[in-house]
Amino acid sequence: MSQEEQPLGGGGTQSASAPGSGDAARHDDPRIVSRRWLLFKAAVGLNGLVGIVLAVPVFRYLLAPWRKDSSYDSWVSLGPIDSFPMAETRLAFYKNPSANSWDGQTDNVACYVRHAGGNQFQVFAINCAHLGCPVRWFPQSQLFMCPCHGGVYYADGSRAAGPPERGLFTYNWKVVSGELHIDAGQMPTLSNSAKLVKISLGQGDCSCRA
Amino acid sequence: MPRVSPPHGQEPVRGGPGTAKRVYAWFEQRLQLEGPVKDAALHPVPRSTASWWYVFGSAAFTLLLLQIVTGVLLALVYVPSAGEAWSSLNVLNHQIPLGWFLRALHGWGSNFMVAIVLIHMAQVFLFGAYKFPRELTWILGVFLLLMTLGMAFTGQVLRFDQDAYWGLGIGASILSRVPFIGGGLVHLLLGGPIIAGATLSRFFALHVFIIPGALLVFALLHIWMVLKLGINDWPMPGRLVRRATYMEEYNRLAHEDGIPFIPGAFWKDLAFSGAILAAVAVCAYVLGPFGPSGQPDPSIIQTVPKPDFFFLWIYTVLSYLPPEMETPFILIAPLIGIAILLAIPFWAGEGEKSWHRRPVAVLAVSTIAICFAVLTQLGTSTPWSPHMSAWSGDPIPVRYLQTATPLVRQGAVVFQAKQCRNCHSIGGAGGERGPALDDVATRMTLDQMRFKVVSGGGNMPAYGKNLSAAEIEALVSFLETLHPANEPPAYDASRRAVDESRSQPNAGAPPANPAANRGTNP
Amino acid sequence: MRFTASALLACGAALLGGCGHTPGYPPNPILRPTAVTDFATLYSQNCAACHGANGQNGPSIDLANPEYQALVDDATLRKWISGGMPGTEMPAFAESQGGMLTDAQVNALIAGMRRQWSRPDAFGGTAPPAYAQTAVGDPHRGEASYEAHCAICHAATHEQGHEQVTSPMYLALVGDQALRTIMIAGRPDIGQPDWRHDGPGGKAGVPLSTQDVDDIGTYLASLRTMGQQVTTGTSSAQAKSAAPAGR
Repeated sequence: MSQEEQPLGGGGTQSASAPGSGDAARHDDPRIVSRRWLLFKAAVGLNGLVGIVLAVPVFRYLLAPWRKDSSYDSWVSLGPIDSFPMAETRLAFYKNPSANSWDGQTDNVACYVRHAGGNQFQVFAINCAHLGCPVRWFPQSQLFMCPCHGGVYYADGSRAAGPPERGLFTYNWKVVSGELHIDAGQMPTLSNSAKLVKISLGQGDCSCRA
Repeated sequence: MPRVSPPHGQEPVRGGPGTAKRVYAWFEQRLQLEGPVKDAALHPVPRSTASWWYVFGSAAFTLLLLQIVTGVLLALVYVPSAGEAWSSLNVLNHQIPLGWFLRALHGWGSNFMVAIVLIHMAQVFLFGAYKFPRELTWILGVFLLLMTLGMAFTGQVLRFDQDAYWGLGIGASILSRVPFIGGGLVHLLLGGPIIAGATLSRFFALHVFIIPGALLVFALLHIWMVLKLGINDWPMPGRLVRRATYMEEYNRLAHEDGIPFIPGAFWKDLAFSGAILAAVAVCAYVLGPFGPSGQPDPSIIQTVPKPDFFFLWIYTVLSYLPPEMETPFILIAPLIGIAILLAIPFWAGEGEKSWHRRPVAVLAVSTIAICFAVLTQLGTSTPWSPHMSAWSGDPIPVRYLQTATPLVRQGAVVFQAKQCRNCHSIGGAGGERGPALDDVATRMTLDQMRFKVVSGGGNMPAYGKNLSAAEIEALVSFLETLHPANEPPAYDASRRAVDESRSQPNAGAPPANPAANRGTNP
Repeated sequence: MRFTASALLACGAALLGGCGHTPGYPPNPILRPTAVTDFATLYSQNCAACHGANGQNGPSIDLANPEYQALVDDATLRKWISGGMPGTEMPAFAESQGGMLTDAQVNALIAGMRRQWSRPDAFGGTAPPAYAQTAVGDPHRGEASYEAHCAICHAATHEQGHEQVTSPMYLALVGDQALRTIMIAGRPDIGQPDWRHDGPGGKAGVPLSTQDVDDIGTYLASLRTMGQQVTTGTSSAQAKSAAPAGR
């Protein structure tokens, strides 16, 4: 203890050896030195062990969002099917199923519903298959256009022009008691939606006309 | 409190400069900083290093301090919540006195910092300062550059508007292309399945705690090494760096032809830093803060997202890469780039320092600078993006309609209503994705235009299914009028023969305007 | 030294706090696109492309024509803007019809047009033919009226063919109501007369009657139908050869 209480302003290195000057030889005793090192290593080991034990919950916490796609997705309603006129493509909105109260406006997700005829629908993600920018539907020319890098898609979602490698992402859908439901919950990207319906490169073979 | 005797046994003097000295002594007795600070301040540096070329590093550090101060001040008001961030930025802009100026200082400080760091890096590279023994200084510098860019990107995210939202979407889309673990990485980046509250919270932590903490520690280590290893001597052609002899040569240079760092070299650093701070303040005052643009609501699709200035070049690259190259390029190229930067001091740790004898280095820096400038310029004008409201907002130039027939007028309406204008400009307004059509009639005949409209080709979608026969005819007859007055439209020779044989009364010279000809068919 | 410092301080204070005209002061927060109700903004983003920068000299009808503004009531304007105009390229703009504008924005457009372009007593005391066609016209009488009133400029066999409006290609793109509106209100921006001046020399005095307008409209509609019967195919060659058939 006395070694740590050095006088203020004194030359620390000089006074350090003063209290133990009588038995200086003991400091060099290899047995004592190795015992101190052993204790030191044990203390380091203890910290390492505790560190590993603590790291497990920390990593578990950090990786919490890394979950299976299915744990995020669920069926949400886009409203009655009457609100989607035949042979037209309409913008629809839903609240993301896994919303937090502090998400603000960010959990208002948009998608495009194309009523292809009869009870057949196509529900397209708003996100361009290239880099996720919001595509806009132009009913006059029956095209989706992306404002970022110029991806263009035909009415059936197939690629028409620009950098995307594939057609628009689609959601799985079903009609439940007159309402259109889609399986949604994630931002569609190549890593999760490519597994869904893949639309090949098209030539605009859509039968619809505005 | 026990009275502590002064270290040198002086008697305390009341009042005046004596008090100041006593207080100083009281602190110095405990801090013991005078020695190291004096060493650092007065250490000799080669006379040649007192140069205006050597001021960028200290300016970057000054800007870092400015960013820390202004960042802390902004954090007093900013609300890092997805639901509130946008409104709190508008409160800063409009309701807190001079809140807009603080935001502008922070935003311009960020742009200046990235710029100065890049200039500093280019200068260090061209002056060979990364060579022995300063390899680690360079490597830390590479990480400092990456962290500075990281701060710029996360800062753009904290400006939680539409650009931030869709910029995150682009980031997530890029990450999703990583094989096997892409989906998980997207979840980690976003803190959940979509861009939402959790996303902003983690980018706040990155921007305010994690990256700045690391940045500060790395920057201090970087400076520590500059102090310990000495400022790079001015490169002289022919004076080669050798591991065995360099330290000795440098020490000789510093001591025999050296000056104390302060004030000999440091006054230029101080002056330049002051000038940079003033420039930031002037920019902030004159040009104001960045954004926020529209609200971060993904259901607002009338938006044209755009990254901040220093990421525009990436935006350009992403639009020009051929689709099959894209995923490999955006995943591998950054890693290769960083690896090259980190390998430079080991690849060329010795030898010539002077740019006069390193043509490859000069060529590399100028190539990168030119590429950056060109790509950024393209990213500013985004010729590849359709103009989403050109079809309904850009009027047809009146001169194109002055002599138009009713059908040509309807063709102009079709041109607008079918969104042709979104990709094709006329009269300087409209998209630039496709070619401008002001003189399209001189390049293509009627039939070629008709074919192109119906079947598309290249980057043009096929409109055959979406236009009626009348719409196509009206459209091409409008396009056919788009040619300079002194240059006749292109005309197909075989077509001419057919038309002539059909319209016997008009046989003779082909009409100047085939549209008129069609109109008067018997 | 102290003077310089205080001068600098004063300058800084004046620049940053004192006056309201600081160049860097940010513009007002950006509204949601659906919350924009400023007429100039809405018009320049949604209408200017076809109807011209100031409501005139565009390829489509000139909204700045006071006679047009007087002819069309609010409900009709709202119908065309919201749902598009049948038979023409005028698209639907209302959100409920797949467009991008809210009802409030459509109303703001109508109110703005009225404010900017309508004039009291646009017709100078004369009552124009009704905006909407109520009676069925007679195509043969219509042809005669067309020859009498319109053919001087819009002759189907006009030498330059510049003003031809009887081509089925043209008629397929312009609906009955649009034709009727132009017949009545004219297009002063490109020098085309209203119903009072349709006729030889554009002289006033023999205005078109409601029946004339009905008949001419029916006649033109019949030309369109004939054209469509021939152009059932979409090949452009057929479409081209259909042009003479219309006449």
